Amino acid sequence: MKTYLIDDDNLAIFLAENLIRVENFSTAVHSFQSAQEALAALLAPEEDLPQVIFLDLNMPAMNGWQFLDALTPHQAALRGHCHIYILTSSLALRDLEKSTHYELVTGLIHKPLDRTELRAIRAQLSAVEDDSQAAPAL
Amino acid sequence: MNPLDKHLPHTLFERSAAAAFVLDMAGSFQRVTGAMAQLLGCPPAQLLGTHLLDYLSPEAGAPGAQHLAEAAAGAIVRYQASLAPPAEPLALELQLLPQLSATGQVVAIQGLAQPLASTATLMERELTVLFDSIADVTFVLNVEAEGRYRFHFTNKAFEKTTGLPSSAVVGRYVEEIIPEPSLSLVLPKYAQAVRTLQRVVWLETTVYPTGQVTGEVSVMAVCDASGRCNQLVGVVHDLTKEKQVEEALRLSNERFRYAIQATSDAIYDWNVAADTVYWGEGFASLFGHQLLQNPAPFQAWADGVHPTDSERVVGGLRRVAQAGTASAWQEEYRFRRADGSWANVLDRGYLLRDAQGRAVRMLGAMQDITERQQAAERQQLLTQQLAFQNADLQQFTYIISHNLRAPLANARGCANLLPHLDYAAPAFGETLQHLRTSLWQLDEVLTDINQVLSIRDAQDGYRPEPVAVAAVCRQALLGLQAPLRASGGQVVSTIPEALRLPGSRAHFHSIFHNLLSNAIKYRSDERALRVDVAATHDATGHTQLTFRDNGLGFDQLRGPDDIFQLYQRLHPSKAGRGIGLFLVKAHVEAMGGHISVRSRVQEGTEFTITFRSAGNENVFD
Repeated sequence: MKTYLIDDDNLAIFLAENLIRVENFSTAVHSFQSAQEALAALLAPEEDLPQVIFLDLNMPAMNGWQFLDALTPHQAALRGHCHIYILTSSLALRDLEKSTHYELVTGLIHKPLDRTELRAIRAQLSAVEDDSQAAPAL
Repeated sequence: MNPLDKHLPHTLFERSAAAAFVLDMAGSFQRVTGAMAQLLGCPPAQLLGTHLLDYLSPEAGAPGAQHLAEAAAGAIVRYQASLAPPAEPLALELQLLPQLSATGQVVAIQGLAQPLASTATLMERELTVLFDSIADVTFVLNVEAEGRYRFHFTNKAFEKTTGLPSSAVVGRYVEEIIPEPSLSLVLPKYAQAVRTLQRVVWLETTVYPTGQVTGEVSVMAVCDASGRCNQLVGVVHDLTKEKQVEEALRLSNERFRYAIQATSDAIYDWNVAADTVYWGEGFASLFGHQLLQNPAPFQAWADGVHPTDSERVVGGLRRVAQAGTASAWQEEYRFRRADGSWANVLDRGYLLRDAQGRAVRMLGAMQDITERQQAAERQQLLTQQLAFQNADLQQFTYIISHNLRAPLANARGCANLLPHLDYAAPAFGETLQHLRTSLWQLDEVLTDINQVLSIRDAQDGYRPEPVAVAAVCRQALLGLQAPLRASGGQVVSTIPEALRLPGSRAHFHSIFHNLLSNAIKYRSDERALRVDVAATHDATGHTQLTFRDNGLGFDQLRGPDDIFQLYQRLHPSKAGRGIGLFLVKAHVEAMGGHISVRSRVQEGTEFTITFRSAGNENVFD
């Protein structure tokens, strides 16, 4: 499984990478300190899509929301393949409310990311995968 | 003769408008018309059987009998006679026509009577009609010996006003009719008219049965052939209505005067044709102007209107008066007080126009709304400030919660991770180090919060003092000597030594320190740093401090909305917490100033701080 980490905070990336390794959550972790870099990688034709993106909101230049807005035109291609989890230190309710307007956002997680969260995501993804595999049989 | 024959012609005859009658051969009335009965002053039934000659003057008796005899003999007779008392001595022309039977015998005498009016009687009748049609009370008094006056004539208006019919008054002395105290008042007037033969006029209020009447009484002497006054003609012209209108007007004027005194407005009356304005007392008390003349020239008012408002207000009013059709006019403008200050005025006028629609007068009131307007402005400013502060606080809370929670979340993340890491692995040491860094960052944010809150707190007891800005600038530079030297740049200040700005020395120090250290931090590596600091006065008399550098600059269109926001960072590659500009702005605003920025990428940045010349005017004072 391929995972993107998008966060301007070094330490946050360090923590997420180590937790993912400890939990064996993902085989390939790509970390980006700017949303623009992540966007470029995501939209590059030769790249395989990541199944999971952990997206920070508060970043300079391009913040998490702007990143999501930039993805909106590519929504159809990403839907079902790419699950975006907002990973933020903010506890603001309006962020949670706003996130529901983005179809690509699967969930919002308050930092720090922990093992329970990762396991829940894994369970969620495998359920979705089972569904998609079962679908042709119907 | 059947009953029908008897009745029908009878009725027709009796109703005839002519004064006609039928006599028997002896001269007694057999039938009379209503007109005849009226002429003789007797009911028709009473006349029947009585003799014609009984109603005529005796001196006409003998010829009368003779005329009757002639008629009875078959002749048509025409002669004149006059009525006997008690009827008035009216002259009549009588016509007697013998009524013949089928056999040609005289069986009765038909007669017609026609009054022969004398010219004097006619005139008297006409005068009576005339007097009766006059609305004024009119009476004629006969002047008798020893100053006695007897009513000779009274008209209908007399009866209407006094309730006394002519029959109850004529022939009586005035003292029998006029009660005291009026009697004592009128007798000398009558005497005066008789003595002087002049018209005597006086005003009199009398209580009559029909109500109180205020009248102008005039008495006029009428003289006989010898030139002595033998009659007085009196006329009472009823002024009750006029008096009531006058009284109502007086009351209304009085109310108007009190209303003017009660209001503090400057009430005016503009006479458009004369181009003068009559001012109420409010004008002097409101604006302090002593009126040398009242009405005053229109121009005197126009000159008091603020030059900026003049065209709109004075020109507008002239146009409305000359060409408009509106009756209402209203403007708000500034008006010069006697002491030279300006009053904000709400002026409302009502234009009176003639039949052609031309403005003749304008009545209106100038109201001083300076206080009200100032209060409204203060209110608005206060509301605006509160709204800003509220938005500030919300922003502040949001930022703080994020910036406080970010290192806290990291610290928790480190703590969670540590138990799963091998003590000997490099990741363990690294995580521990990160834990320390996070806790240190947490502490730093708390320090920032403390600093920001202390600016807000300090504002409560803030009193501006004159600050020597140039000296503060030098001091701030001294603190930045090491990094400035390392950068190889230079800072040139042209702030005059003498310049004093009202504010806080500590605030100014923070402003200079933060702006100058930013300039050093965000310098361009491609050229030697140069910062110019200057103080200028702009057109409106405000003082401006400018900080211009030739550093990295930033893209104002694509950058953040507000670079002065807390933790807003423009240059991720450079170290910085994003609190410097936030503090600068907070300090500038705490001193009543305003900060703005202009920047171009790779060219430089210029900050402009504007202070009102009067220094900090805290609206909460």
